[in-house]
Amino acid sequence: MALLEIRNLHVKVENKPILNGVNLKIEPGEIHAIMGPNGSGKSTLSYVLSGRDGYQITDGEIIYNGIDLLELEPDQRAREGVFLAFQYPVEIPGVVGLTFLKTALNATRIHRGQNELDAMDFLKFVREKAQSLEIDDEMLKRFVNEGFSGGEKKRMEILQMAILQPKLAILDETDSGLDIDALQVVSKGINALRDANRGMLLITHYQRLLNYVRPDKVHVLANGRIARSGDEALAQELEEKGYAEFNVFVE
Amino acid sequence: MPDGAGRSFTFLEQAAIADQIDTGSQPHWLRELKESGASIFKKRGLPNRSDEYWRHTLLNQLVEIEFQLSNESPRVGQKQLSQVALAGLSSYRIVLVNGCVRKDLSSIGDLPKGVLIAGFNDVMSLLPNRLEKQLGHYIDLKNMPMAALNTAFLKEGVIIFVDKDITVDKPIELISITVPNKNPTMSQPRFLIDLGENSRATLIESHIGNTEIPYFNNVVSEIIIGEGAGLDHYKFQDEGTAAVHISTTALRLHKQSLYGGFILQSGGLIGRVEASAVLDGSDSDCRFDGVYLGRDNQLLDTTTSIKHVATSCKSRQVFKGVLNGNSHGVFQGKTHVSIGAQKTDGYQLSRALLLSRDAEISTKPELEIYADDVKCSHGATSGDLDADSLFYLQSRGLSPDVARRVLVEAFLNEALAEIKLNEVYEGFRSHIRGWLNKNINQTVAE
Repeated sequence: MALLEIRNLHVKVENKPILNGVNLKIEPGEIHAIMGPNGSGKSTLSYVLSGRDGYQITDGEIIYNGIDLLELEPDQRAREGVFLAFQYPVEIPGVVGLTFLKTALNATRIHRGQNELDAMDFLKFVREKAQSLEIDDEMLKRFVNEGFSGGEKKRMEILQMAILQPKLAILDETDSGLDIDALQVVSKGINALRDANRGMLLITHYQRLLNYVRPDKVHVLANGRIARSGDEALAQELEEKGYAEFNVFVE
Repeated sequence: MPDGAGRSFTFLEQAAIADQIDTGSQPHWLRELKESGASIFKKRGLPNRSDEYWRHTLLNQLVEIEFQLSNESPRVGQKQLSQVALAGLSSYRIVLVNGCVRKDLSSIGDLPKGVLIAGFNDVMSLLPNRLEKQLGHYIDLKNMPMAALNTAFLKEGVIIFVDKDITVDKPIELISITVPNKNPTMSQPRFLIDLGENSRATLIESHIGNTEIPYFNNVVSEIIIGEGAGLDHYKFQDEGTAAVHISTTALRLHKQSLYGGFILQSGGLIGRVEASAVLDGSDSDCRFDGVYLGRDNQLLDTTTSIKHVATSCKSRQVFKGVLNGNSHGVFQGKTHVSIGAQKTDGYQLSRALLLSRDAEISTKPELEIYADDVKCSHGATSGDLDADSLFYLQSRGLSPDVARRVLVEAFLNEALAEIKLNEVYEGFRSHIRGWLNKNINQTVAE
């Protein structure tokens, strides 16, 4: 059974069609990259998968692990193992990072029938994961993303993914705004989570990230549809030729 | 049903009856003070829509229900008391039940030298001259009708005196409990707190009533902080669900003195906490902070006024409100800078979160500045929880209710951070969490 199967997905935002029949199938263990020009609907796809409000699904379906994903609320999807690494992680003043991580982890653990971790075990668990992402205690004790640089925010997203251990991770423009050092740290974090049971969907405009996190399949999203699919070589080709051949209609 | 004027008359009738019982024993000055309160209240009556600072807070319950002074001394056990006290706090405790001091429930123990914590009547027989000099001298009865009403009844209360240079080693806990009677109960307690030069104290004042039966608690406090002295004052208003709680506090700050006030208001059908400070000596520092939590049909009013008279004083106010159901919040904050009060530093912030479509907030910040070398600012906002933050938390597996509670608590943290005493911080935080668990649980209710 596929981990994720998107069939003929049509989505409108404020009555404007954005996705016009997307088909995509991800098997467990696979990393797929979705590339495409700005405005092609990449972020819409990530938000629809995670359940954000404001998107009208006019046709099609999304089957995740055998269940109808569109029937679930965002928090239910998260507890079922769907994770979105945000392009622009939200700053939440007043909520301490560690407390947030613990609340999130325990919500998922309870759902999986596991015990809640106590404060000590949790701290040990987080520190281990945080270390390889170069996140120190001081950063964990700050309010969620408040005053973080772009790179710090993205590392924190990957830390959350490492802690929550999702089955399907959607990484929305995780490479944007990163310098080369940060890109390497983040890529290492993503590669560490490659697993035979986990699927990943990398959404990116540039090929850069794919030098570090090598995808099994690459798709081009243009005008709300998958216009072409291929392997790594397709990403390379796009890097050289750009998106011109995909004949983007800009309204 | 009597109208407002009719009810004002029955209040005064009761005051007169109570007064007749005392006639023999009370000194002339006290009699005059009470009469001045009665005559002001008679003239003004209960506050109504035409009173500028009462426009949003109508006291219909006081017209509809006939509240009576409590004559009984109901049973209250130590167990009941321990439910309302702050956990793990060692304090000098004085307890009032239905507005009357109860020595049997109080535990004042061995007070340090130079500290007096006692009931009004004991102090009347001990130090009448000092009471004569202070009582009623710090409060502007003409502009405070409810304080005038309290003054007409003046008979019960708590007096706290701290002498020069004394630091009170433990917090003073003032607990007022209301236990319902056959008839709707009314209490009119009076507090006077006078801190001598360079003294220090912490006061925790709680008003509790674990009942759905209506009652009326009309509290007046006068607080004088001597030169170089400091008072931290925590006030917890958690009256019964049908109660009317009105409290009026008048503060006088002398040179280089400090007052840190924090108000947590969540009880009563109508709750109004009014505090006004006069910064009389230079370099004094006055803070009013607080949190109010409204649900159902509650009306919670916070009204403050800070008058900068002397130079180089600081005032700071941070209030955060959370309103659910059909509740209505009122925040009226005034900062007045007199002509000679140069180098004043005044800051005021009021923020309200409206958790339901039917909740409402009325905010009235006022700056009145007559000096030219001052730094004053105020800000007021109201709104719903941030949708992006809610989605972010939900996308990490937090249910909508948990996400909302996390965000509301985060919103309140800025005000709670002003609490210095750890036991109070923990106690207030756990009260707030309990409130959030009870009031933000739509998923369960659906």
